[in-house]
Amino acid sequence: MLSPERLALPDYEYLAQRHVLTYMEDAVCQLLENKEDISQYGVARFFTEYFNSVCQGTHILFREFSFIQATPHNRASFLRAFWKCFRTVGKNGDLLTMREYHCLLQLLCPDFPLELTQKAARIVLMDDAMDCLMSFSDFLFAFQIQFYYSEFLESVAAIYQDLLAGKNPNTVIVPTSSSGQHRQRPPLGEASLLEGVEASLFSQCLENLCDRHKYSCPPPALVKEVLSNVQRLTFYGFLVALSKHHGINQALGALPDKGDLMHDPAMDEELERLLAQIPGLVNSATANPEAGCLPSRTPPRVGSPWRPLHHARKVEAESDGSTEETDESET
Amino acid sequence: MIPGKYRSVSGRAANNVNCGLHLVIQTSSLPEKSKVEFKLNKETPSFSGRLLQHDLERNYSSRQGDGRVISPSPRNKSSCISSTTNVTELCGLEMKTTMSSLSAFGDSSIQTPSKSRIRQGCHSAGPNVSGDHIHLASSSMPSFPILQRSSEEKILYSDRLTLERQKLTVCPIIDGEEHLRLLNFQHNFITRIQNISNLQRLIFLDLYDNQIEEISGLSTLRSLRVLLLGKNRIKRISNLENLKSLDVLDLHGNQITKIENVSHLCDLRVLNLARNLLSHVDNLNGLDSLTELNLRHNQITFVRDVDNLPCLQRLFLSFNNISTFESVCCLADSSSLSDITFDGNPIAQESWYKHTILQNMMQLRQLDMKRVTEEERRIASVVAKKEEEKKRESHKQSLLKEKKRLTINNVARKWDLQQNRIPNIAPNQDRKVSDSPQDPSQLHGSTVSAFPEETGSLDSGLSNTLQGLSVTDTHLVEVDGDTLSLYGSGALESLDRNWSVQTAGMVTTVSFTFIEFDEIVQVLPKLKIKFPNSLHLKFKETNLVMLQQFNALAQLRRVDQLTIDPQGNPVVNFTLWKYYVLFRLSHFSMQKINGTEVTQNDMIMAERLFGILAHVASSELPQYRLISILGDVRKKQFRYLLETKGKKPGLVNEENSDSKRLVGENTNRATLNYTTRDFYNERLEEIKEKKKFCKMYMEDLVKEATEINMKNEALQKLWPQMFIELVRDAVIEIRNKNSYMKLCLQQITDQK
Repeated sequence: MLSPERLALPDYEYLAQRHVLTYMEDAVCQLLENKEDISQYGVARFFTEYFNSVCQGTHILFREFSFIQATPHNRASFLRAFWKCFRTVGKNGDLLTMREYHCLLQLLCPDFPLELTQKAARIVLMDDAMDCLMSFSDFLFAFQIQFYYSEFLESVAAIYQDLLAGKNPNTVIVPTSSSGQHRQRPPLGEASLLEGVEASLFSQCLENLCDRHKYSCPPPALVKEVLSNVQRLTFYGFLVALSKHHGINQALGALPDKGDLMHDPAMDEELERLLAQIPGLVNSATANPEAGCLPSRTPPRVGSPWRPLHHARKVEAESDGSTEETDESET
Repeated sequence: MIPGKYRSVSGRAANNVNCGLHLVIQTSSLPEKSKVEFKLNKETPSFSGRLLQHDLERNYSSRQGDGRVISPSPRNKSSCISSTTNVTELCGLEMKTTMSSLSAFGDSSIQTPSKSRIRQGCHSAGPNVSGDHIHLASSSMPSFPILQRSSEEKILYSDRLTLERQKLTVCPIIDGEEHLRLLNFQHNFITRIQNISNLQRLIFLDLYDNQIEEISGLSTLRSLRVLLLGKNRIKRISNLENLKSLDVLDLHGNQITKIENVSHLCDLRVLNLARNLLSHVDNLNGLDSLTELNLRHNQITFVRDVDNLPCLQRLFLSFNNISTFESVCCLADSSSLSDITFDGNPIAQESWYKHTILQNMMQLRQLDMKRVTEEERRIASVVAKKEEEKKRESHKQSLLKEKKRLTINNVARKWDLQQNRIPNIAPNQDRKVSDSPQDPSQLHGSTVSAFPEETGSLDSGLSNTLQGLSVTDTHLVEVDGDTLSLYGSGALESLDRNWSVQTAGMVTTVSFTFIEFDEIVQVLPKLKIKFPNSLHLKFKETNLVMLQQFNALAQLRRVDQLTIDPQGNPVVNFTLWKYYVLFRLSHFSMQKINGTEVTQNDMIMAERLFGILAHVASSELPQYRLISILGDVRKKQFRYLLETKGKKPGLVNEENSDSKRLVGENTNRATLNYTTRDFYNERLEEIKEKKKFCKMYMEDLVKEATEINMKNEALQKLWPQMFIELVRDAVIEIRNKNSYMKLCLQQITDQK
């Protein structure tokens, strides 16, 4: 309450900046929505529960996209929820398409925009062959960067384009809302000739951007670190580096380290409990005890029924990737 | 019948009955007598041989001879050649009649002054057959013999002359016999009809079994009524123009290839064309009196014009080449026909032959010389009726099938347009359609023209009716056994219909095609009530794109099988969709998905993949959210219930308990539900509104709070100084004790 920052800002702005207003507004909104139900068990109880769930990060489940992306905390919570719910899919070792990942996202957020998923997939696939299959961890980390730093990446894209076009970076005015028009990628030939932009210049511009940027952005030191390792780099190269960067993931704090991505003992325990409850499977569960005792790190291969299916799809996806691409551009 | 008797007579060569002829010809052209009577009576044994000869068909075992010319029937006409039941041999003038037949004519005075003579004349063998009465002498002309009879003969048989088996090669010149009525040249070698043009009173001319190649020399014989030219070499029917009174024309056993030049023979009663080379029958116009037409032993493949013969009663078509009823269908239009034969034709071998003929020719009394019984007729009509019904049924079936096909095409087309797929039709049509995509008839038009080769295969009448029928069809509902198929979104309205309990109970499979899944979702509660036994759901071209959408199916009562056709349902391309379905709809214990048996491994895998999702959704969701999400489901159901409440109040309770059960069964995944796009967007709008309000409210609230806070802070800042000031004031006040005491006392007294 008495933090020094608090005194530096007017109260209202302070609350807005800390997104307290967002949550308060949402709380009232939720209250309004379910006023009959809530009035039965008490408004105080509701507020307690609400802010508890915000702290736990469970408040974003099945909420509309506009709310989910409203605050960094919400974004991180969503990332964590996504990881938690679909870790098992990754654990099973499945490679999925962008659309399928999108479907999974929509299970948690019905109006999740396809555009964001597409952008995340571009990071994984280096802006190429959009119908390829991706591993869960690749997608998740790319998605994390794309989703959490969405606005920052927009600005970075604009800067990158300007640099590519040879404009003086000092005159770059960071576009915020109108950044959409800069999204067009350069023609492939040009990009391959130049192979991106010079890292140091880019780094300088980004530092500038981080200072001014009002949205959340990755720690500038880490960005610098990423850029310091190379001479030149492309936009997607940069994003891939960001998404794979250990420190940025830690700083973001939503997901575990890559090594521990499949590790969630509490949930695994819960899952075993659920498996035992499957109706009609009680016998087999007891008769086949080693299935339940499988070490959680090794993906369970119960019959592995979709292996052949999966391979078939991969071939198919490779053979007619071009048609799918045009299809995708339509949407 | 006649020929049969005839044959039996000839075959036995012995018939003891006296036979006679009673030929009555009555013509108005005969001034002196209105009635001429030929009375011939013969003893049969002697002429049996000739009868056989005369019957060219004696080698055929058929019961009906082609030699037959006249058959019995009562005569009403004033002029006729008549014979009754047993009359046979008109040709040879040796006509035999039984006494009864004669008496049928009411004329018993046919006794036989010349009986023996005739017999003699006709049957004595040898060249001098007619020696007693006839003298053939060489005439002045070198080639033609001249015939003269004795005056006695002339008197006795003034009106007849028989020159049978005289080995004549030419017609003799017959002098002084102008009054001859009957002339017989049977069994000679005559090649040309000559020298008889002066016999203008001739009524009966028999040239049977000669070598005549062309009909000629008859133009003056205007009175001729019976012309017998059987067994000759005639190739064409011709030169009969003046024989307007012809009553009987026998041309059997010639080489005639077509029927012609007979249309003026309006008095002709009997026409015998058996054993010719006819390939078909037509040109029968004008033969208004024809009652018997013999066409046996030709090569006839089709028959026409028979319906233009008003008096035709007997038609003999045996031993021809008729193979279908259609080729003789004109017979069905003849009202007078009572006796017909088809034996020896391909058609007679067909299984349908008899009843088809009988059904189409109700007027028939005899078929193939057998009397048509009532029983046969009845059977024929029953069979025909059945066949007709079958035909109609199959026609109806094909009509329905075609209609269904067109409708489905139409629906598919609409669907494609709706999905913005590029339809592969001609550009101009495309433009038309896109100009008015809402116009169903327009759409239909293009559908029809898009499949011209298919519609072309139907007969035009059928496709016409179809076009008329399906103009308005933009959807199709079909119940086929246990399957209810719905095509097009309009078909969903059919769920509002009152389905019979039986139908509704029978339907276990519901198939959706060309319908947006979101639209289906809206009718699922109805489906649940109307078709409680539906266990198998099929989706094809329904735009299933998200796993989420399967959540909607959870509200059904029971689903055993699910079939999602990959066509138009991209979700099937996902590797996870099956497991998600199993997971989300686990309370149904589904048996088959897309035709594949669900195994326990599948169930375990589904749970492994999505179990945590359900767990998170149920246990980590804050209470208020849980209530609001489950509340939505309940609200939705409630909304539907309100709609149906008025109609079926009994269902409400059931529904309530049902939904309770449903919620109880899988609370941990009930939170995973699906709201259709429209509904969801609607909700988002609602939320936006609320948010706006909340934002304003919060703004005010926060502003107020910060203001208070600011005042509070200002107060906090001022307070220490104020306190000091206050203390100081107080200290100053009480510094002088006495004066302060005084002041206080003063105040107390003042109060009093």
